[in-house]
Amino acid sequence: MEFKDYYQVLGVAKTATADEIKKAFRKLARKYHPDVSKEADAEKQMKEINEANEVLSDPEKRAAYDQLGSRYRAGQEFQPPPDWDQGFEFSGADNGDASDFFASLFGRGGRAGQGERAGRHGHDGTYQRRGEDHHAKIVIDVADAFHGSAQTIALRAARLNESGHVVTDERALKVQIPKGVKEGQHIRLAGQGTPGMGGAPAGDLYLEIHFRPDSRYLVDGRDVYQTVRVTPWEGALGASIETPTPSGPVQVKVPAGSQTGRKLRLKERGIPGQPPGDLYIVLEVVLPPADSDKARKLYEAMAEEMAFNPREQAGAAT
Amino acid sequence: MTQDDILTGVLIDEATLTLEELARACAVEPGWVMERVAAGFVLGPAGRSISLAGSWRFTSVEIVRTRRLAAVERDFDANPELAALVADLIEEVDRLKRTIRNAGLSLA
Repeated sequence: MEFKDYYQVLGVAKTATADEIKKAFRKLARKYHPDVSKEADAEKQMKEINEANEVLSDPEKRAAYDQLGSRYRAGQEFQPPPDWDQGFEFSGADNGDASDFFASLFGRGGRAGQGERAGRHGHDGTYQRRGEDHHAKIVIDVADAFHGSAQTIALRAARLNESGHVVTDERALKVQIPKGVKEGQHIRLAGQGTPGMGGAPAGDLYLEIHFRPDSRYLVDGRDVYQTVRVTPWEGALGASIETPTPSGPVQVKVPAGSQTGRKLRLKERGIPGQPPGDLYIVLEVVLPPADSDKARKLYEAMAEEMAFNPREQAGAAT
Repeated sequence: MTQDDILTGVLIDEATLTLEELARACAVEPGWVMERVAAGFVLGPAGRSISLAGSWRFTSVEIVRTRRLAAVERDFDANPELAALVADLIEEVDRLKRTIRNAGLSLA
């Protein structure tokens, strides 16, 4: 595990005041906010910034970190010395997404909050507290929403080992993605969040569904748009064509006189559900290349024999 | 449980969340959510305002919205009104991006 220089993360001096730390954090939080940032690694950066701020904005944690940090540089191999936090009174952290470095120092989800989130004492006097809920994103193919699928996701979770130190376990979960999921929908996996304390139940894991970008499909709720290429004669004369779709190949009747952009609606052939979505076939007429004598002659024959000027129709002919 | 076991979860929207479940999922207090529902910053399914606390049920949309409000309030010390305005703008930008994408145009 590498040592993290939280001052470097926030771009402030080790002597920075609480106000300077707050300002630096807000500036970076604006830059890397995952909802608006165009930076490729915004989400990762935001986690680092949050983590640095959580330590440096808390006087007790900052003091403990400063004492430790005076002996390390960023990137240096690091293991927390025993009793490194002796004499400091912070109460664990509330950061389910923390890095291994942070978790090794402050743990994950150990803070007793207020109200519903606070722990309580059981009948035998043991301190009990339900584990925190966690959130993760899962990216699936559009076709998975049509058929359902089993996906494996890798998660990291912290636990206390026998000597009371926080260690990180990597674990893989195989999750059934039900048929009919929509983008943005959540799947709740009961008991897969942070373990509870004193026999209290574990938190839940919420998986937010995202579709892997696929140039073949556009998805809007449960409606799916799929571009299908047709020849000029299929568009002009009409045709019955076979096309692959996320739910398997289908026969589609292309009406005569179809231009690029024409949408054919296949009712209830979108993502299944209550109600099921529709599948829209969006036609794209593709010209064959004039790359042989025969092809050129055919185009020339059309040019001579067909009175057709598309610019005239658009009212822009000169 | 073995590594090969396949976990089956609950699909939110088919099952909905109670006020307490939503609060827990977003790491905030139920009272915090109630204040924002009362102010209209968190709406019920299909954008309806919800009036009876006992019958409040929430979906995936509210999980995203509530977590976003909580993050903006926390990260920027924003008041709830400002956080709601930021969330509204983010959602509007998302909607416009979807419209642009669905129109076959690309964002430069």
